[in-house]
Amino acid sequence: MSTTTAVPPVQPAGPSGPSDPSTRTGREGRARAALAVVAVLVVAVLGLLGARALRGGDDPGRPVPHSAAMETALGVRISRVAVVGDGGLVTVSYVVLDVDKASRFQADVKHPPVLRSEARDGSTNRVSVMRQGHINRAGATYYFVYQNTGGALRAGEDVTIEYGGLRLEHVPVL
Amino acid sequence: MRLNRSRRHPGDAASAARTRRRTGILAAVGALVAAVAVGSTAGAQAATSEGLLCQTDPQQTFSLTARTGYVSTPDGNSIYMWGYGMSSGQFQLPGPVLCVTSGQPVTVILHNDLPEATSILFPGQKAVKANGNPAQPQLDTGGSLTSMVQPAGASGGSVTYTFTAGSPGTYLYSSGTDVTKQQQMGLYGALVVRPAGAAGQVNARPDSAFNPQHEYVFLLSEIDPEVHLAVERSQPVDWGAYNARYYLINGRSMPDTLAPNNASWLPSQPYGALVHIKPYDAASNPLPAVIRYLNAGRGNYPFHPHGSDERVVNKDGHALQGTSATAPQDLSYLKYDIDVMPGQTVDALMDWRDVEHWDATSNPIPTQLPVITDQLLVGADTWFSESPYLGTKGTYPSNITVNNECGEYYHVAHSHALQQATNYGAAFGGMMTVFRIDPPAGCPTS
Repeated sequence: MSTTTAVPPVQPAGPSGPSDPSTRTGREGRARAALAVVAVLVVAVLGLLGARALRGGDDPGRPVPHSAAMETALGVRISRVAVVGDGGLVTVSYVVLDVDKASRFQADVKHPPVLRSEARDGSTNRVSVMRQGHINRAGATYYFVYQNTGGALRAGEDVTIEYGGLRLEHVPVL
Repeated sequence: MRLNRSRRHPGDAASAARTRRRTGILAAVGALVAAVAVGSTAGAQAATSEGLLCQTDPQQTFSLTARTGYVSTPDGNSIYMWGYGMSSGQFQLPGPVLCVTSGQPVTVILHNDLPEATSILFPGQKAVKANGNPAQPQLDTGGSLTSMVQPAGASGGSVTYTFTAGSPGTYLYSSGTDVTKQQQMGLYGALVVRPAGAAGQVNARPDSAFNPQHEYVFLLSEIDPEVHLAVERSQPVDWGAYNARYYLINGRSMPDTLAPNNASWLPSQPYGALVHIKPYDAASNPLPAVIRYLNAGRGNYPFHPHGSDERVVNKDGHALQGTSATAPQDLSYLKYDIDVMPGQTVDALMDWRDVEHWDATSNPIPTQLPVITDQLLVGADTWFSESPYLGTKGTYPSNITVNNECGEYYHVAHSHALQQATNYGAAFGGMMTVFRIDPPAGCPTS
């Protein structure tokens, strides 16, 4: 793309000397128009690529931020947030760091973490039944399934997870 | 461009410059269009979030390669596997869903990148040939069985299987070499045979018609990670200690079963297992969904969809019907628990009917537990959607957790052998998914 846009506007030399100014103006106009079209397309493509990069849904390796305060308090590390169920559900995966704290966190059914969209005025704290009914193992990953209330979360955006006054911001939604 | 160049005057530098500019601009525009097209392709893939992803070919010829790879489990494990994938693609679990037409020739070319010989069995298909010869068991010089069918040699071998697609229905294809180990390692996939001229039916019977937009494959299997670790380390497998820890639908365990097809975080497990439908309506939604169950594992999987019976219409690629030549009796039946035996396939039609005539105001679904038993799972927690009826949200008891986007319902569907609904013993997980039922008018945000 850059090679194309860098092509200089060559001034053609007619057989009888310098070209007619009106013809030159017309050619320059066409060249400028063509370049403008290319420029618009470049911007559009860069925008598309940028949007895809920001969306993150194509980049499963985009890291999930960590919060030392949250991990110390809850005994878990959030590892993934994904919109599933054809848009209607959200899975939140977390790794157990401290079994006792994680068990308390998991058992706190009346105060589930709130998932708050950073892209719109929407959130959900509707945790489904799929809680783990077992003894946690350190290092293993477990999950919650949320309802995606009103489509609050969408793939490619970021979410803030709130729990007990703690916040984990800019978590990518897959 | 070549034609234009030949027509221009050799000395016309201005024309040459214009041509170069135009060429450059066109090339740039072409490149940009191609770049945009790439983005559009990705969007098209993303749009196919659920339902059957069929592998088709006009000649019904498929080139598969057996490879090694890894799958992820929801508890954070990564497991060494073997699998069939498209030769033009990469490792995947399970193998591609091959969709063909009954009565038409099928060719499957198997390339083998594994460190040992492997093969493909096509149970239910007649007169299968391997490299042009009848497919048959292979014996070594001592008379011991080495393979159920001619294999592709280790590390680069290949073999071509041909057959005429049999009666309409669903079939398992899987390794016929060192079957216990290789099938456990992941060498299996689904073959869907469609009736000629009636692709929207499970079999030749018109009453097996389904909505092609709601076609699903549930390929059930299991994993003992110790077996896979031993194979990865080239150590002997202790089959006496076999103990499956993971149970899969289409190569995934709950909650990954809810994720869309081709989810970016499951690059080797491309198939989801979400069923997403609307209520039956004689005028606007008359056709059911079809769910094609296959068992590629070692045990019986009693698959239990909450909330609705399913009508079993096919087993092992054969329509359930009587023997009358003129008007074979319909022997399909409703089932609330679909038992899928090892190696078996079961095709079931599924719809969701409002038999109680629920109405959000005049006849709301009661919100007291345990009245709506179909929507309960276990204990006080439930998948109840806090909706008096589809599309309408209402009050709900404080002890009910909810799961709702636009008044839709979610019914759990899982193996009723509950140890199979776990991830390494952690409940719930494993062989489990949900059936999503949207309001009749659809879900605006999905």
